[in-house]
Amino acid sequence: MQTSLPSSSPGSMKEHCDHQVDCLKMIQVILDGQATEQQIERLRNNLHTCQPCIQMYNLEKEIKQLLNGKMEKKCCPEQLIASIKARISQFS
Amino acid sequence: MSDTPTRDEQDRPNGPTGPDQTLPEGVSADGTPTEAPVRRYTDEQKYAVFNKEFMPHIDSMYNFAFRLTMDEDDANDLVQDTYLKAFRFISSFEQGTNAKAWLFRILKNSFINDYRKKSKEPAKVDYQDVETTYNSEDAETEHTIDLRAESVSDLIGDEVATALNSLPVDFRTVIILCDIEGFTYEEMAKILDIPIGTVRSRLHRARNLLKEKLRDYAASMGYREQNEE
Repeated sequence: MQTSLPSSSPGSMKEHCDHQVDCLKMIQVILDGQATEQQIERLRNNLHTCQPCIQMYNLEKEIKQLLNGKMEKKCCPEQLIASIKARISQFS
Repeated sequence: MSDTPTRDEQDRPNGPTGPDQTLPEGVSADGTPTEAPVRRYTDEQKYAVFNKEFMPHIDSMYNFAFRLTMDEDDANDLVQDTYLKAFRFISSFEQGTNAKAWLFRILKNSFINDYRKKSKEPAKVDYQDVETTYNSEDAETEHTIDLRAESVSDLIGDEVATALNSLPVDFRTVIILCDIEGFTYEEMAKILDIPIGTVRSRLHRARNLLKEKLRDYAASMGYREQNEE
C-alpha cells in the first residue's frame, strides 16, 4: 500500500488510541494487501491524527520487512532436485 | 477458535478456479484420490506440467519445509515426498491454476501427517493451549505489545529466525505463508483448510507472540549495549 507517513506535528496528535486492538488488526490487513478502499482511507486518516496508530503501523511494517528481507531464504539443494527428477523419470 | 468443527463456508470463496481443482481434497490427508476431477494427461504432458508448473516453486517449498521442520534432512525428505506425491496425483491438478498453493497444501499435509508425529524437536508449547490462552476474554485487550519499530530494526536475520522458530508451529506457519511467501488470506485458508476468519485471527495472534519474542531480543540487545558502554 502506498501510504506515506505524515510528518508528525505533536500538537494535533492523539497520544492515546481507544481502539488500539481494532486499529492494529486493520493495519495488519492493510499491510498484507488485503484491505478494502474504505479501510485504507480510515488508516490514512488515523495516520494523520493518532500517534499510537503511527507507531503500530511502523512496527508492523518493520517486522514484515525483517521477515521478508533479513531472514535467510533457504534454496533447495541441487542434489535434491536431481534426486526428485530421477525418481520421477522412473514413474512412467 | 473454530479450527476444527465449525467451518464457515461463506468465508471460503471458491477462488479463481473453483473449489476442488486448485487444491484437490484427494492429495491431502492420506494420499488417497477422491472426487477431485481427474484429467487425463499423457506421460509427456505430465512431465511438462511437472517441470513447468511445479519445479519453479521448489526453492519456496524447500524454504517452507525448512522453516517447518527446522532441520535440513527433514526438509529434504519432506520436499521430496511432496513432489513425488504431486506427480502421482498430477491428474487432479489443472494446468494453469495455482500450482504454488496446491503444492504448499500437499507439503503442509505431509508435514502434519508424516513429520510432526516423529518430530525430533519436542513440542515446546501445545498449540491448543496457546490458542485457548489467547482466546480468553481479556486476551484481546491485553495484546498490543509495547514495542517500537526502532527497537527491532537493528535485529539481524538470525535473531528474527530464532524468534520465529520459537513460535508453535501453527503460528509459525501462518507467518511464513503470509509474510515470507506472500499468499493471500484466501490462499492460506485453502492451504491450511481453515476459514479466512481463522486465518486472520491466527495471524494476529502469531504476530503478537512474535512481537513478544522480538521485544525480548530487543531488550537483551539494549542490555548488552548498556554493558558495553
